[in-house]
Amino acid sequence: MQLSAASTAANVRQRLGAAACLLLAGSLPAAAQAPAPPAWQLEATGLLYGEQARARVVEPMGRVTRLYANGRALSLGLAVDAVTGASPTGALPSSQVQTTTGASGRTTTTTTSSSILPTHTFEDLRTAVDLGWVEPLGTMLSVTTSAHYSREQDYASLGGGLKSSVELPGRRITLTLGGGYNRDRVFPSGGTPMGLAPDSDPRTPGDNPKEVTTGLVGLSHVVSRRWLLGVTASESREQGYLTDPYKVVSLVDPATQLPVAQVTEKRPATRTRDDVLGSSVYHLDHDILYVNYRYYWDDWGVRSHTLDLKLRHVLGVASWVQPHVRVYGQAPAWFFVYGLTHGPPLPEFASADERLGPLRTTTFGGTYGFHVPGSRGEFTLRAELLYQWLVGHPPQPDEAASGGGGGDDNLRRAIAAGDNGTDDGRHLGTRIGTLLIGYAVPF
Amino acid sequence: MASPCEVLVDTDDDAEAFAAVASAREEASRIERKFSRYRTDNIVHAINHAEGRPVAVDEETAGLLDYAATCHEISEGRFDITSGVLRRAWTFDGREHAPDVGVIAAALALVGWSRATWRERTLTLPAGMEVDLGGIGKEYAVDRAATRVAEVTDAACLVNFGGDLRASGPRRGGRPWLVGVEDPAAPGAGPERRLELARGALATSGDARRFLFVNGRRLGHILDPRTGWPVAGAPRSVTVMACSCIEAGTLATLAILRGPLAASFLEEQGVQHWLID
Repeated sequence: MQLSAASTAANVRQRLGAAACLLLAGSLPAAAQAPAPPAWQLEATGLLYGEQARARVVEPMGRVTRLYANGRALSLGLAVDAVTGASPTGALPSSQVQTTTGASGRTTTTTTSSSILPTHTFEDLRTAVDLGWVEPLGTMLSVTTSAHYSREQDYASLGGGLKSSVELPGRRITLTLGGGYNRDRVFPSGGTPMGLAPDSDPRTPGDNPKEVTTGLVGLSHVVSRRWLLGVTASESREQGYLTDPYKVVSLVDPATQLPVAQVTEKRPATRTRDDVLGSSVYHLDHDILYVNYRYYWDDWGVRSHTLDLKLRHVLGVASWVQPHVRVYGQAPAWFFVYGLTHGPPLPEFASADERLGPLRTTTFGGTYGFHVPGSRGEFTLRAELLYQWLVGHPPQPDEAASGGGGGDDNLRRAIAAGDNGTDDGRHLGTRIGTLLIGYAVPF
Repeated sequence: MASPCEVLVDTDDDAEAFAAVASAREEASRIERKFSRYRTDNIVHAINHAEGRPVAVDEETAGLLDYAATCHEISEGRFDITSGVLRRAWTFDGREHAPDVGVIAAALALVGWSRATWRERTLTLPAGMEVDLGGIGKEYAVDRAATRVAEVTDAACLVNFGGDLRASGPRRGGRPWLVGVEDPAAPGAGPERRLELARGALATSGDARRFLFVNGRRLGHILDPRTGWPVAGAPRSVTVMACSCIEAGTLATLAILRGPLAASFLEEQGVQHWLID
């Protein structure tokens, strides 16, 4: 024992001396040329998004952030989305030629076979700019102010937000409160359709306003050195023109069960949306596990659950991989229909937009991040594949209004699936691929 | 550095003396800017706010982290740059306190260098954990500033940042520098003892101004990251002489961390040291 204690003691001084030597021998830049701490951060990403036989989006984005010594930060973001492709109109497949109005000013005629969902083609360019300002007030409180504007051919959005975070004493709990207001304008090319009226009906020229007010409250808690938990709840209220001017609903002949005509869709003019998001970041020995769960509900009857899992695995020198799985399930809006029965009076609201339907999505993907030796910047490459499909039985519109029965609607759905008699909702599905290349560098 | 800093240059040439002081000051501010945990624009802030993400660091930071890792290892976990969060649990204002065991346990949950992944110049800390290089930063700055001063003058000089100091060589005529050691019981009352230093470094660790009482027992501000409590039974002041200031400072801190065994620890190391109980 004596000997071992003595040798350990001698070892301490020896090892300390060697470590100090190593530290102080390290070459340094001359003081005058010592690099200033990075005060600017540049992030650039390029996003490619493609739906199977539908929309393709190319989105270059850039963001410059100026960091100040006192924690203040100013950021400016610019994005351009070039969208081309096709989007389902909402109409059921038919052997007849269907005419629809294309989004963003292009009228196109799409001939569809009985097994392919009608789509309209479109091209659009969206430009967006946003400005953010973080102002620390003392050491525990910070206030973030943001503003954004975006413009595309038939839509403009202007909004701002205010968010404040307070670290509670002990710094293990952070409380966030925020709110925002958006004033948007929708001005469909060719005018605004009446809604639930034939496509050929006269359209109203001009703008349709849409207002969105959002509030959020969040709490994050450092549970232990390995575990960070957060909960955020938000509510947003939308008011104004919430209908998609380019979507239609098919009218189905009750006798033949074939679509014979179509009307433009119509949605209510108000929508209250709520969601609760729970997030957990758990640090394993070398990996980090991210688990997020979100429950969403709105007064249109849409209810959804989202489970999102990511695992960040450090590979070594300065690279990492992060596999990602996301599962999403949604109950449809009360006015969602696959189609309406031709003849009887139409209901007050109806939409065949799949985004309001009994939608399921599953996403698989991964991100790879790496530093190029000798450079301070980090590259990220992300690839994701999303499967999207509709399931189950849509809620029936009022019997009197639609004149349709459950059986009829199932049949219409089967038509939509392009596979009479087979109740396999996946046929209404699509695959969406995303590829993102990003680069971030402090300078 | 939040403490008085001085540079003594043994010369009659004013310009030379000013140049020496300027270069020391420049180096001290550079290190302070880069490693202070009170700033938001430096590498320490980036590490402490990475929320579990890996942070790649530059060569100098890597050197300090390597040094801290060695200290953690040879002290068997007593020296830990992640232990700064423990300060939340204690207020060293010289008064009697009843420590909150819950707060200590909560802070302790965020301490432990062994929880960090430090390899290939990339540091990954679990979210909520922090590093604080304050325990070695001042001594490191003294060594660096002394090197800078030696680049601009051949005159003998002594760099003293808050009591941690390094001398480049004997004064003119071969005389050593005379350094007074303050008595922690009577701060500001004049030196308790005088030491002679020709070349090398002196560093002092102790609780001269920062301590508290628990049940009437005086506890200094040096915390044991293994328990979350201040080290009990340590000398009030430990001064160590070594080749570099960072070595001297670390040995003094390691000694205090041994509590009542501080003296025997320093005896075993065979370093020149002075204790005040």
